[in-house]
Amino acid sequence: MATECLTNKKILTKGNYAIAQAAIQAGCQCYFGYPITPQSEIGEFMSGKMQELKRGYVSAESELAAINMVIGAVSTGVKAMTSSSSCAVSLMQEALSYATADELPVVLVSVMRGGPGLGNIYPSQGDYFQATKGGGNGDYNLIVLAPSTVQECVDLTYKAFYLAQKYRNPTVLLADGLLGQMMEPVEFYDYPYPEIDTSNWALTGAKNREARIIRSYAPLADDRCVFLEKLFQKYKTIEENEVVYEEINTTDADIILVSFGSTSRNVKTAMKKLRQKGIKAGFFRPVTLYPFPSKKLQELAQKVKKFITVEVNMGQMVNDVRLAVNGVCPVELIHKGVGAPPSADAIVSKIEELL
Amino acid sequence: MSEKNFIIAGFGGQGVLLAGEVLANAFMLERKNVTWYPSYGAEMRGGTVNCEIVMSDDEVSEVNKADTDFVIALNQASFDRFLSKIKKGGWMIANSTLAKEIKTRADINYLFAPITKLAEEVGNIKMANILALGLLAKASRLVSLDTLNQALDIVIPPHRKHLLPLNLKALKIGYEYDLLPAGI
Repeated sequence: MATECLTNKKILTKGNYAIAQAAIQAGCQCYFGYPITPQSEIGEFMSGKMQELKRGYVSAESELAAINMVIGAVSTGVKAMTSSSSCAVSLMQEALSYATADELPVVLVSVMRGGPGLGNIYPSQGDYFQATKGGGNGDYNLIVLAPSTVQECVDLTYKAFYLAQKYRNPTVLLADGLLGQMMEPVEFYDYPYPEIDTSNWALTGAKNREARIIRSYAPLADDRCVFLEKLFQKYKTIEENEVVYEEINTTDADIILVSFGSTSRNVKTAMKKLRQKGIKAGFFRPVTLYPFPSKKLQELAQKVKKFITVEVNMGQMVNDVRLAVNGVCPVELIHKGVGAPPSADAIVSKIEELL
Repeated sequence: MSEKNFIIAGFGGQGVLLAGEVLANAFMLERKNVTWYPSYGAEMRGGTVNCEIVMSDDEVSEVNKADTDFVIALNQASFDRFLSKIKKGGWMIANSTLAKEIKTRADINYLFAPITKLAEEVGNIKMANILALGLLAKASRLVSLDTLNQALDIVIPPHRKHLLPLNLKALKIGYEYDLLPAGI
């Protein structure tokens, strides 16, 4: 459980507790969930805290139920969330597709573990595709934020609630088992974003106004695809305004290492070690996986000799880097299927093999 | 840049993760950057468990590091598993009640202490983990006894506060254990 430091504002806490506490401070009114390792602490924390604060907590009978309960709750304009992991997030894909069509600010915390299938409970980044490409039907995007430290678990949980409401689009905080179980000092500050007015669409009872309906049904008569065009106009706005990334030493780099989430910590150190060896390496970390920083990668591709992505999966984000770079320079992959990220030294020696 | 890492390992139930949490809190109190992460899996009482703590003056550089500066091994299995991971000049702090005193490496420091037996003498075998932190503090000189005392007060939850004095005693006994017994 979180332990408080008396000399400054920092608290040493696990990623899972950090996410839960941040959700509370972001004003999350309802939590619905079903336990699964490695994120069960989120539900555990919420089960006590939400009752204490007289907010909503339901231990759902299934993940399917949990995500649909979130849809119900956010339809009324309140902030609500669920959290889960990999094989159980699979069960939520239909509802996520519906929530994009319904334009509902669902917040899902996805703490990745090994897959496919039941897989295992060790850390993994194998759900990059699941989060960014989706398993639901139709044309849609989820906003996807990927923290790399426990402090970022706090920062990006706040941001997830904000962006979900700002764009009325389901938003995923994509963490992994390592971040969920890891303890680091964090600072909880007040929710830094403005509150979004939901009164013009939320279902709050039709007293003194016209009745509203939220539904994802796009009738046949809509042959001009107005509904889809409108949805994708919104995605365009998101892509123009919400891209976040971290870059270090990219301006003079010959090779740029690209990595996201917890793996990027070791990759950043690998970059520094390569620099010490006289290799001009740079580091690039997408913080938003959707919207993906494609434009910036395109720019960097003009002057760099090679990109190398490092992932704990069989190679997923590498596809988006390749699409962004579009053949301008080679994009290689260093990866590990599952588990804690490869050590910085292991990454360095693999890169030396590639050069 | 100064960065040190520590592996604490033993049987599930020996308080390995808690000892790591106390140590990580102590480093935080001393304004260091610190990361704590556990081995996690289908762990159970009697199985093996370990956690790693990385302490740094700068941003913690990596997790799952290839080698380590300090190991606390509370049982034989942990001793065997992590001995080879210790950096040249690093420390193996081992519980000689449950691990054999064999020094196969000449390039590291060994500290064997009957940690479980000493904890029993303190009055509670469960204090072995905290007692080991006292040994670590003395051997490493990277954290003070006073800070560890504060960290214990932070970590021990309100309904267990009655155990605080015993924990503090165990910490002190570990810290005051003679690192260089007669004959060496």
